Amino acid sequence: MYEYRIEVKDLNTWFGEKHVLKNITCYFEDNSVTAIMGPSGCGKSTLLRSINRLNDLIPGFRLTGQIFFAGSNIYDPDRNVYELRKRIGMVFQRPNPFPMSIRENLTFGPRLHGIKDEDELERIVEDSLRKAALWDEVRDQLDSPAVHLSGGQQQRLCIARALSVDPPVLLMDEPVSALDPISAGKIEDLIVQLKKEYTIILVTHNVQQAFRVSDQAAFLYMGELVEFDKTKRIAVAPEDPRTEAFITGRIG
Amino acid sequence: MNRTDDEREREGTQAGRLWTVLSEGGTRLVALGGRARRLTRREVKDIVFKLLVALMVLIVVTPFFLLLARLLSVGLQDLVGSGPGQGWELIATLPGAALRGGVLNAIVGTTVLVLVATAVGVPLSVMGAVYINEYSRPGRVRTAIEFGADVLAGIPSIVFGAFGFTFLVAYLGLGLGALTGGLTLAFMMIPTVMRTTQEALKQVPSSLREASLALGATKWATTWRVTVRAALPGIVTGILLAVGRVMGETAPLIFTTGNNLGLPTGLVGPESWVASLPFTIWSYIMDPRPYLQVRAHSAALVLLMMVLIVDILANYASRRLTRRIV
Repeated sequence: MYEYRIEVKDLNTWFGEKHVLKNITCYFEDNSVTAIMGPSGCGKSTLLRSINRLNDLIPGFRLTGQIFFAGSNIYDPDRNVYELRKRIGMVFQRPNPFPMSIRENLTFGPRLHGIKDEDELERIVEDSLRKAALWDEVRDQLDSPAVHLSGGQQQRLCIARALSVDPPVLLMDEPVSALDPISAGKIEDLIVQLKKEYTIILVTHNVQQAFRVSDQAAFLYMGELVEFDKTKRIAVAPEDPRTEAFITGRIG
Repeated sequence: MNRTDDEREREGTQAGRLWTVLSEGGTRLVALGGRARRLTRREVKDIVFKLLVALMVLIVVTPFFLLLARLLSVGLQDLVGSGPGQGWELIATLPGAALRGGVLNAIVGTTVLVLVATAVGVPLSVMGAVYINEYSRPGRVRTAIEFGADVLAGIPSIVFGAFGFTFLVAYLGLGLGALTGGLTLAFMMIPTVMRTTQEALKQVPSSLREASLALGATKWATTWRVTVRAALPGIVTGILLAVGRVMGETAPLIFTTGNNLGLPTGLVGPESWVASLPFTIWSYIMDPRPYLQVRAHSAALVLLMMVLIVDILANYASRRLTRRIV
């Protein structure tokens, strides 16, 4: 059941001298949505980007502690980071499709990992688009440039792209904050659909959204994990006054 | 009369009188358009500045048209005529005795030189730009390389010619010829192409690189399949503009290519000596024989047309690429 469970143990991170995350310990369960919420600058994105080691690219980034994925520490020195990132997909805040055709956006990842068979690639394109609820809208224009799609479609394409390499885990960094309410609603519905098959970690500073779609929630404030529990419990009875202040809109 | 106090105040002074004249003129202009009302001061200011910038543009473009007019008035007879060395013969035959023959040697020479320069200069500059922008950390080294490239781009072309001669011809012993001339042009291309490529790479949002890395791509795959690909229209435009520029360079070729009334048969050694359009124009215009002076003008027209073709290609290529990927 917990084959892909992600566990974060005593995580501390720094950008240069700045201590961003402080002693974070939490875990993310399979086939559920965990929301990481908190005000801007609290370290939500840093925590998310530590899970696929995207922070490694930033000069001056330092990390102590461990993150276990399927039982092994992803910060092991001999860990293959490319293999890791293939298995932990990511969707970004702003839609960022590659400047290629829709089809090429979806075959890019599989090709990188050695899939050359055209029929197989065709199948992946259709599968990923169907899972991202975009197939019906774009099936006739797979070869047109991805950037011609609307913002919401682009973001769903980015979700499809992340799914194209078949990762069990999906990281989402405020995936709807740059979209209009209708597109945002579609993507929220999609997240709820996707959790049947994927472990989803969703960063958001929108409390209502966190309550709508997540099963667990983590509240981060100034780099500390203030509260971490079932979303329902936090929504009804926050334990910490800072959590209460945040969900009632007094900080944020 | 709806003048402001400010305007009345100006009336006594020189500027004020000029002002009155201008605004009266403006009023009449508007009256001609059927709307008989006095222009406000801001509207007049607007018109005056519009005329001013239009005049500036006129001054800027006039030399080009004067030059074109001059070249056409002297050289066009060679391009469209049907005498010896004229018309088709001008661009399709080698120079012969007296009036006979055209400038094919120079056309081929310029083409060969530019091909050598592009083949050597473009990979070096693009790789260099990729290294600076994608691999090197921002800091002193990067600043130093960028500064170096900017200085190189500003060095007069005759200095590149002198460098080509002392380094390639004398020190490396390559001798005069197509390779030496092409390499000298490549030196001239490198700073421009490197900087335009770097600018194009800078325009690629970092979120695209992150998206690729997050799919498990290596840095290498990300750089070539995503970043460079996204920057391609800008890179191609930069390359073709640099090509158009070095095509017309004379100074770097004077000491490095030799000359040739026929076609080169090699890349190094005496058989590789080449003519080029700029060099040919220069030597013909220095010659007292009148038919050679005419030939210089028609050769200049040929060169202009070649540069124009490269420019059109540049436009077409970057538009095609942009349409395909954006």
